[in-house]
Amino acid sequence: MATSRTVKVRVNGVDHEATVEARKTLVDFLREDLGLTGTNVGCEHGVCGACTILMNGETVRSCIMLAVQADGAELMTVEGLAQPGGELHPIQESFRDKHGLQCGFCTPGFLMTTYELLSKHPHADEEEIKEWLSGNLCRCTGYQDILESVKLAATRLRNP
Amino acid sequence: MAAAEPKLPEQLPVTQPRHVGKDSPRMEDPLMVTGKVEYGNDIRAPGMLHAAILRSPHAHALIKSIDASRAEKLPGVAAVLTGKEVKSWSRPVFGVPEGWTGYALAVEKTHWVGEPVAVIAATDRYIAEDALELIEVEYEPLETVADALKAVTGEGPYVLEGKQSNVAYDRKFSFGDVPGSFAAADVIVRERFRWHRSSGNPIETCVCIADWNPVTGMLTLRGSHRSPHLILPALVISLGVSSQQVRIIQSPLGGSFGVKTFARYVILISLMAKKLKGRAVKWTEDRIEHLIGSSTHAWDRHYECALALKQDGTVTGMKMELIDDLGAFSEWLAIGMLLKPLLCLGSCYRIPNVEYACKGLVTNKTPQGPLRAFGLPPHFWVLEQLLDVAAKKLGLERNEIRRRNFIKKEEFPYVSPSGNVYDSGDYEGSLKLLLEKSGYDRLLKEQEKARSEGRLVGLGVVSSIEPGLTGPPMLALAAPRIFSRTSSPEGILVRIDGFGKLIAELGFPPGGQSQHSFVRQILADYFGVELEDVQVITVDSLSMQPSTGPISSSMAIALTGAVLGAAARLADKLKRVAAVMLEARADDIELLDGQFRVRGVPGKTLAAAQVSQFMMARPDLLPEGIDGNPEATYVWNPPDRTIPDERGFGRYSVTAAGAQHLCMVEVDRATGQVKILKYVMVDDCGVRLNPSVVRGMLMGGMAHGVGAALLEEYVYDENGQMLTSSYMDYLLPTIMEVPAAEEHEMCTPSPIAPLGVKGVGEGALHTTPAAVLCAVNDALEPLGIRITEAPMSPLRVWKALQGASR
Ligand code: FES
Ligand code: FES
Repeated sequence: MATSRTVKVRVNGVDHEATVEARKTLVDFLREDLGLTGTNVGCEHGVCGACTILMNGETVRSCIMLAVQADGAELMTVEGLAQPGGELHPIQESFRDKHGLQCGFCTPGFLMTTYELLSKHPHADEEEIKEWLSGNLCRCTGYQDILESVKLAATRLRNP
Repeated sequence: MAAAEPKLPEQLPVTQPRHVGKDSPRMEDPLMVTGKVEYGNDIRAPGMLHAAILRSPHAHALIKSIDASRAEKLPGVAAVLTGKEVKSWSRPVFGVPEGWTGYALAVEKTHWVGEPVAVIAATDRYIAEDALELIEVEYEPLETVADALKAVTGEGPYVLEGKQSNVAYDRKFSFGDVPGSFAAADVIVRERFRWHRSSGNPIETCVCIADWNPVTGMLTLRGSHRSPHLILPALVISLGVSSQQVRIIQSPLGGSFGVKTFARYVILISLMAKKLKGRAVKWTEDRIEHLIGSSTHAWDRHYECALALKQDGTVTGMKMELIDDLGAFSEWLAIGMLLKPLLCLGSCYRIPNVEYACKGLVTNKTPQGPLRAFGLPPHFWVLEQLLDVAAKKLGLERNEIRRRNFIKKEEFPYVSPSGNVYDSGDYEGSLKLLLEKSGYDRLLKEQEKARSEGRLVGLGVVSSIEPGLTGPPMLALAAPRIFSRTSSPEGILVRIDGFGKLIAELGFPPGGQSQHSFVRQILADYFGVELEDVQVITVDSLSMQPSTGPISSSMAIALTGAVLGAAARLADKLKRVAAVMLEARADDIELLDGQFRVRGVPGKTLAAAQVSQFMMARPDLLPEGIDGNPEATYVWNPPDRTIPDERGFGRYSVTAAGAQHLCMVEVDRATGQVKILKYVMVDDCGVRLNPSVVRGMLMGGMAHGVGAALLEEYVYDENGQMLTSSYMDYLLPTIMEVPAAEEHEMCTPSPIAPLGVKGVGEGALHTTPAAVLCAVNDALEPLGIRITEAPMSPLRVWKALQGASR
């Protein structure tokens, strides 16, 4: 039967310690054990990117990682983007302003991917942006407006 | 009574519309970008259990026995549901034509790989899945039929118990003098086509949470349900529940594209809830289940077509014969997708004589279900490809043959051979705009140059129409007893509170279509308030007005009608109250820019808030017939629709949006990969309530169309095993495949629909596959090859390249 382990993680600046089954995926842990349901599950096999979160500043697919693999890590999910007062992060604002979403289900994954991209490459050009976003599927929006959202976010982050 | 419905935004009771027709921020976004929106899978109920479904590994097999005793004993497992109970507690899932479906769970035999065989509910999804492995099922595999062309022969095996055939539907429609047109033709073009099945694949899979209270008999359903008006009758028929004891609470949807209209899994999870007697159970479909088992596949077609033409390129007749592989059952409304082409057999073209013969076959494959554009994309591709072939044969330029056949601007309203009416359009003007904007002549030169360098570059320039607000009338052809209706009602409730704020209640949830936003825009303009002063919410199935939701490019039309109707009724009520307050005749009161005033008497005005306050505070002073409740409901219905006669002649839809697309591709000789070099579209969906939302619909539809044309395909082997059950092999388009498209607006306002809008929800998916596929064949032309199968996947193109003489 499944074995359990203790996992310590810091998520969006808050420390958590929990006992989880070793086989539990990271996204199930975040959604079910920590109640952070902002991260969505689209495929559960690492292709769609909907479950993308940041682990120690780098994007990972939380559906194909186990919670125990995140032990000791610093995680960030979509819930960690906006200011505590509710003010939207410039990336969130840009997606809203450029119509970079329709149903919004893929959006947390795109936002987190964009976050890593723009923190590492604030001057990313169109080709780089496309390369980075190519691992995230969106069925509604058709990518063009998402690309424009990321470009706007890059500009806003460079000139706050 | 309420004033006449505004036919254009200028007729709204406002000096100058401030919101309608303009880009407007979406109401839905703040929740979505912060991860705070509650999708179905985010819902947790106290004591909730989790379901997992055991699915058939065989395409066709007898179930000899099921032993779930080991599974039932696993700690955490609450119940196991099998076919025996399903058979005794329910009737087969509803579908048309009647008699061609099965129960929500396989009973005596399984009909496709992925068909549910048992359901388990446990305290945790992990445990439920563990328990699936403990169920022992003894199968006896049967001969399968996984090919519609084999199924149509009349020989067995037969998919459904008790049937001596696999033909669920077989009908030939004929309009005009088809034999005459072929006999008199100068040129006849004949071709076969094959369109393979694909589907919507919303990024959110299906979710159902069912809770059946044994004390009250009340069944509460939550989750990603899209159409209570379709789910409820299915439940009533299949479960025998009474309608007022079902409450469907709809969550925002992570996309649907038609596939969440369906009821099979809702019935199944409801039955599990019945067994659980008062404990809620949640089922969240996983992606593999969605791909193999969800009854969401669409359009698995074999075509045989012919066009009759005059020497000058005029099309005089068309014959189209098609066989559609429906999968194991003719489930729910899938058959409608065969019938929808009847609305627009000739697309943008005047084709007077048309024969359309369609057969729906059942086979041992996943059943089909509704999909965005409901069966038209293959139709348009086939027609556009035939036109390209005919143009070549006649030595005409591709656009010239189209121009010669377009329905002309002056001919609207145009009555099609099957009786449907196209409300307005300017196809020639749209094409002209498209060619100008795309620099067509320059593109031709580029192509010529590329060809001289040995590169395979091609162009596709195609047209289509998007019938807006279709529905029951076409289904009447398959099930007259049930669908002889002209209605597809859309209702809304609008109220104004004592602070002058507006509240609207809709019957369907957000799912990407932005309806909350445009209802807000219209109400803000109608009552002259700020966007922030309008709240829009979705209510549950027991509270809502009759509602159809976003089906068949209908939403903007029907919901606009509903909002305008309710707003007019509310304004009318308020006017009569204002008349008391202003001591004037009600007929002399007008609403303009949010103020009620006496016509011709300057200075005497009341804000809507003052009127609603008075209405609630002093019911004793209100005129006869006016109560103290500042709210109104309105149910809008499409005008002028008719039930088709026995020939299939009828007025099926309300609007006809037009689209012209240009696509330029390059095919890689070595790999068969297709790269889209340029994509330009002109769309005429009448008045655009929110241009960026319309553009978003078109861009999303185009992306889906690129997938359907080049990548997406469910592949089965000859035993009915699906070979594409993950996103590793069922390929969806990414940002790398979807081009940055240009989109230009043509606007011929609908003279029928409110505010001049036309449907746009099915969007570019109608047109894009044709544009891309025609472009690929144009690219391959120097090699003397043409592909007549879609998708033109890299493998298919590569194989065609291998076969080409070099
Ligand atoms: S859910 Fe993790 S990549 Fe799709
Ligand atoms: S917005 Fe719906 S999947 Fe991207």
